[in-house]
Amino acid sequence: MKNKKVWSKVTGYSIITFSALIMVMPFVTALFNSLKTYKEFTAIPPKWIPSVFQWSNYSEVFKLGNFFHYTVNSFTVTILSVIGALLSCSMVGYAFARLKFPFKNTLFVMVLGTMMIPPVVIIIPHFIIFKNLHLLDSLTPLWILEWLAQPFGIFLMRQAFMGIPKEYEESAKLDGCNPLQIYWKIFMPMCKPTLATLAIFTFMTKWNEILAPIIYLTTNEKYTLPIGILSLGGQWVGNEQYMVAAALISLIPILIVFFFAEKYFVSNFNNSGIK
Amino acid sequence: MSNTVVNNMAAETIPTTKKRKYFSHEGRWGLILVSPYLIHLIVFVVGPLIASLYFSLSKYDMLNPPKWVGLENYQKLFHEPLFYKSLWNTIYFAILFVPAQTFLALLLAVALNQKLKALKLFRMAHFIPVISSWTVIMYVADAIFNPRFGLANTFLLKLGLDPQRWFNDEHLVIPLLVLVAVWKGIGYIMIIYLAGLQSVPNELYEAAEMDGAGTIRKFTSITLPLISPTTFLVIVLSSITTFQAFEQIYVMTGGAADISAAGGPNNSSLVLMLYLYREGFSFMHMGYASAIAWILFIILFTLTIIQLKIQKKWVHYD
Repeated sequence: MKNKKVWSKVTGYSIITFSALIMVMPFVTALFNSLKTYKEFTAIPPKWIPSVFQWSNYSEVFKLGNFFHYTVNSFTVTILSVIGALLSCSMVGYAFARLKFPFKNTLFVMVLGTMMIPPVVIIIPHFIIFKNLHLLDSLTPLWILEWLAQPFGIFLMRQAFMGIPKEYEESAKLDGCNPLQIYWKIFMPMCKPTLATLAIFTFMTKWNEILAPIIYLTTNEKYTLPIGILSLGGQWVGNEQYMVAAALISLIPILIVFFFAEKYFVSNFNNSGIK
Repeated sequence: MSNTVVNNMAAETIPTTKKRKYFSHEGRWGLILVSPYLIHLIVFVVGPLIASLYFSLSKYDMLNPPKWVGLENYQKLFHEPLFYKSLWNTIYFAILFVPAQTFLALLLAVALNQKLKALKLFRMAHFIPVISSWTVIMYVADAIFNPRFGLANTFLLKLGLDPQRWFNDEHLVIPLLVLVAVWKGIGYIMIIYLAGLQSVPNELYEAAEMDGAGTIRKFTSITLPLISPTTFLVIVLSSITTFQAFEQIYVMTGGAADISAAGGPNNSSLVLMLYLYREGFSFMHMGYASAIAWILFIILFTLTIIQLKIQKKWVHYD
């Protein structure tokens, strides 16, 4: 019996370690590639580890074309999106969780329905809307929709608010607070973990987004990091190691966010997945 | 507890006029707070749904207003070989991807479920591909699969085998894209399975062990049935996202540099969404592209309905 347990643990560890190495090894290879000189990068056969680590490649990247613009644009879109998502999804989630209003149930069914509509059916009309608003080739279409309460966020916040005991509201109502004050002063502070989860999820989605940027942006200076780096690839043939460095730099912010907030990420992915 | 009861009773005995006033007061606040979603629903969902249906029945190049052509776009679609090629590519991709990721993620979750130490470390390692953008993934994959400098061909050459053209090979491109997609997403699916596995009560395993069940028997008779709701969820979500795959193909087959190059050597990796993007945003055939969008919508809808019907046969809910 004990032998079986040891065996299964050994097998488990082996599978997981092997798998973790497969996850990480390509990144390590890319990292080494980014620290090579062009000669080393294009050497055949390639050496895995460069002889001298060219850390200067990373500072060179910021001098490349519009790389600095791409970074600023990505941060702008992402941060505006996160703020919008936190505000709008919590407002709407609170209304669904705690307030009575006309058509509430029908509307909630619509929220469910919206989640099931594949984006493909509505992207062309979205493009036309923003064209008519003269917002093409600007960052606005990329973050504005987050201010209109996306369904996933509504679900998350509604779930969190429904878990707050009614006593808190009751006493606030007796003190004469209106729903907005209850929402802002009581419910929001109590749901910080869920807000963190929503923030991280929105951050990750927006930071990595590619479809919307390529549809809406045409001027190179307005590009965000994922598509900006791709555009550099075309112009900077002969320095591919910089491209790899640029890509890895774009990974750093989301890596940091993830490292510090991993528990929120994972635990709420669980909850939203299994419902 | 009794306080709440007293409060509730007090609320119900409030005279009628005050109650009506309270409801409409709350009702107005409710509508105000829900207004962001209302705008979203009407302006960005319902309106666009109707509009895109209308576009699919029109010729629309954005310079001139849409011109009604009835079912012409759909007729063109059904006679277009490139549409069928992209449809097949998408199905091929999905058939390879969904079983592979579902099975491997479950395997990993089972391995990880034994309360091993350093769980957080393993989890983080598996999430690095998940949180990366497709641009990052492309450069990382290139480090391995670049035909000249990549590790894969270097390795093959060392073994005395022929180097491959990898992403430039018509027959390898979709399996390779699937491999990368599985690698990228498996960490997330693994976590979903892990949660499902942890809800299986240990007593069941212990009871089975006492009846003499081996590892495989325990897995097939206890684990698989009890996590079948999770498996169902994973399969449905994976199919829906895979059929709409766009960013990966666009980035990894060079769409950024040249949109007509995207879709693999000779359209061998042209998937439906990429075909749609090309027609709509490159050639400005907005009407035709809208028709493709609706066909894709119908396919997804049908697929989900079929999956929902079949689930009765294999998914166990308690």
